[in-house]
Amino acid sequence: MEILHMIFIAPFLDMVALPDLFFQGLWDGFVGGTLYALLALGFVLIFKASGVFNFSQPILMVLAALALVSFYEMGINPWISVALVLVMMYVLAFGVERLILRNLVNQDGNILFMSTIGLTFVIIGSAQWIFGGVPSSMIHAELGFPVGSSEMPMFGGAVYFEHIDISAAVLASILIGILAIFFSKTKIGRGLRAVADDHQAALSVGISLNQIWVIVWFVAGIVALVGGIFWGARSDVSFALQIIGLKALPVLIIGGFTSVPGAICGGLIIGLGEKIFEIYWGPMMGGSVEGWFAYVIALVFLLFKPQGLFGEKIIERV
Amino acid sequence: MNEKAPKIMMEVKNINLRFGGVVAIQGVSFDIHEGEIRAIIGPNGAGKSSMLNVINGFYHPQEGEIWFDGQKRPSMEPYEVAKTGIARTFQNIALFKGMTTIENVMTGRQLQMNKNIFWQMLRYGPAIEEEVQHRKRCEEIIDFLEINHIRKTPVGSLPYGLQKRVELARALAMEPNLLLLDEPMAGMNVEEKQDMSRFIVEVNEEFGTTIALIEHDMAVVMDLADRVVVLDYGKLLADGTPKEVQSNQAVIDAYLGVPH
Amino acid sequence: MFYKETGQFKSKYKEELAAFPLFEDKIGIGILGVLTFLVIPLFGLPGLNYEFAMGAIMIPCMIFIIMTLGLNILLGFAGQISLGTGAFSGVGAYAFYKFITIFPDINIIIALVLSGLVSAVVGVIFGLPSLRIKGFYLMVATLAAQFFLTWAFIRVSWLYNYNASGAIEGPNKEMFGIIMIGPQSSGMTRYYFVLVTLIVLTWLASNVIRGRIGRSWMMIRDMDIAAELIGIRPLVAKLSAFAFSSFYVGIAGALMVFFWLGAAEAESFDINHSFLYLFMVIIGGLGSITGSYMGAIFVWVVPVLIKEIGKSAFGFDAFVMENFSTILLGAMIIIILILEPHGLARLWQITKQKLRLWPFPY
Repeated sequence: MEILHMIFIAPFLDMVALPDLFFQGLWDGFVGGTLYALLALGFVLIFKASGVFNFSQPILMVLAALALVSFYEMGINPWISVALVLVMMYVLAFGVERLILRNLVNQDGNILFMSTIGLTFVIIGSAQWIFGGVPSSMIHAELGFPVGSSEMPMFGGAVYFEHIDISAAVLASILIGILAIFFSKTKIGRGLRAVADDHQAALSVGISLNQIWVIVWFVAGIVALVGGIFWGARSDVSFALQIIGLKALPVLIIGGFTSVPGAICGGLIIGLGEKIFEIYWGPMMGGSVEGWFAYVIALVFLLFKPQGLFGEKIIERV
Repeated sequence: MNEKAPKIMMEVKNINLRFGGVVAIQGVSFDIHEGEIRAIIGPNGAGKSSMLNVINGFYHPQEGEIWFDGQKRPSMEPYEVAKTGIARTFQNIALFKGMTTIENVMTGRQLQMNKNIFWQMLRYGPAIEEEVQHRKRCEEIIDFLEINHIRKTPVGSLPYGLQKRVELARALAMEPNLLLLDEPMAGMNVEEKQDMSRFIVEVNEEFGTTIALIEHDMAVVMDLADRVVVLDYGKLLADGTPKEVQSNQAVIDAYLGVPH
Repeated sequence: MFYKETGQFKSKYKEELAAFPLFEDKIGIGILGVLTFLVIPLFGLPGLNYEFAMGAIMIPCMIFIIMTLGLNILLGFAGQISLGTGAFSGVGAYAFYKFITIFPDINIIIALVLSGLVSAVVGVIFGLPSLRIKGFYLMVATLAAQFFLTWAFIRVSWLYNYNASGAIEGPNKEMFGIIMIGPQSSGMTRYYFVLVTLIVLTWLASNVIRGRIGRSWMMIRDMDIAAELIGIRPLVAKLSAFAFSSFYVGIAGALMVFFWLGAAEAESFDINHSFLYLFMVIIGGLGSITGSYMGAIFVWVVPVLIKEIGKSAFGFDAFVMENFSTILLGAMIIIILILEPHGLARLWQITKQKLRLWPFPY
């Protein structure tokens, strides 16, 4: 009985008792959620455009953040550093297309996926070699993002809003909006969808695969940079960010692999869910449940709704 | 074939199959006699392959009954259907590409093999005897279909016509009562078609296997089949001997045009 | 001409179904046997310090081969992708630890088999989603296993008997009067134990994959729908692959901690290890037992050698060499996927083919 009370009743009583704490959790979760959604969109983009499940998205984020900080530490102006990172991302996108994707056209999805794991390791090794493996702090203040926090009295207590979190939520939302429009309204976006359905068919109607792949990988690089700046600001710039980036995978499972609104909803569900779960249920389980909560939720979805919230149901044929 | 009152092996009654709003099969009924070659014809998208999928248990129709061996069949999963002695080949070849010809044919024997994991791990005693015994049977089938020369070739690298033949071998290895062939001669040249027709007739006559086949080549259908079902837009258009069907006005209008 | 199958006629199917039907293969295996049972334990590896050769190369290689065999059964033979191998190996290791501490008199072999079984059960539980999903979806499900289990290895202190260090450690333990594991065991005993385990497990795996159950895995891998229409129950085929694979992986995990490392924490079972094992399978060759051997040896030995050579010949520090081998491994994966998706095993086959024709290539 006591244990049931502990699991099913006490946490909710706590929420009601201290609404300001609950609201603080919601806000933190919301910010995390928008950033997850943004990263998940990076996955969706590449998956839609090339059928590649890009496992290297998280490490791209680490790479972007590390490179940005390192350029700045070399004494380069922060905005020029951003530009340099963007150039680097473009070169990387170009290289990936030339050296990997082009040689794997029409291969099985598993093979493409495993090649991005290979790419992940190439990037890990190179990034550590060039930029070093020591954690450093993000240069968001130098880039002109507001620092500090505001305290807002609420529910008889107070809720803290980190200014960087507000910028993160706003900028991520804007970028998500742009990407959503890019997908559904532009010519390139439509081309993307054609490519994802069938490589050869897309080729035969005159869509340049190579160009589109470079574009989507570059866009994924931009997404990685934005994600890297804000996650880097929220924790440290280090290879541990990769584990955070990986959480975009369960987000995708929940949302459905090809759906833009799915990625957004999935991001928010994971972001809010893991914060609230960590605060109210985490302590009784020994803490640090944030590490697996997202995956276990995804597992539940896989068992009961494998196509995700917004995914298309596939009818198998023989 | 058999002029005396034929025994009905399988009967589908009033099958309705829908995918969301799309109607694939609408109120189709027909039967298959024991020992006959039954052809199912119709234009593309007429619901022929869907019909085989229903018989196979791969699709579950919203309405309708399937009677097999005189009994109404409950809703079954494909692997359960396989156990009742129904084998199948596919329109787009569905061989196991990573395996050799002999391995592919051996997969047809899976259901007859039952030695447990411990014997399998030791590969000794009953397990190896079972393996040898089924291997013999498979070699006979391979001989019968004249594919001995490619016995150890990975099937992925075989030409199309041979792949179709390996697929037939795999289905035969199941020693089915009812054999479903989905366009066994699609994409073959005349010579390959002749070979394949010969095999189908021999299987039917020597093993007494009942065969239901989908085929587009009318000449082949008219030669091989004892009776023909014609589907069009998911509906039954005609049912009867090749002659009857050939002279049926609705069929001519819908599909055949001028018989050749 | 060294290697030919002409003139070697088989008059019984049983002979053809043997593990090594060719005479040349039998000789090769014989030579390997002499090397591993006599020459290496007596003299070590040429050019290497004896302790280093045994402790840093031979023993880990053999353990990783078992690990790779396990993952290859799942990925290469049954086509189910998993990124939870590291965690499943941890299940085996912790289970072994619990068995030998709860029942101090238990026979080591029995404890090993039991921990393999525990790992198999956990593998089946996390393999359940594979019934409805494939590919990347399944990969995320196995990631759930990876993160959840490594969390449990840290937070559930019962697993490591409430040690302050949070590590599991092998106590001294005898079998047949010889100390097999723990600080006082000799490298030689552990070497022989692992070697025999490896041989037995390889033999069992090769038997299973050539028989009915192995075929059912390959059927599911190559075309699951056709497999089902032939009468394979996907439930049984997939879960048996998960069980069998996790059994091997669990045993490898237990061996890794108690016959090689001596002690381990949750980090020895983290996601990076899962990647390492995946690389061994891919580089060695999906769906090949020989490939599992080659992949494990390659992925383990090459970075070790690179580090040694880089240090002694060029004076590079370990950090640089480590990054270099990370890049090299990643690049190897990509190159192999592009050029020869069947990995080193396929290259070996091509070489054998060439040897058959040598010296007249046409």
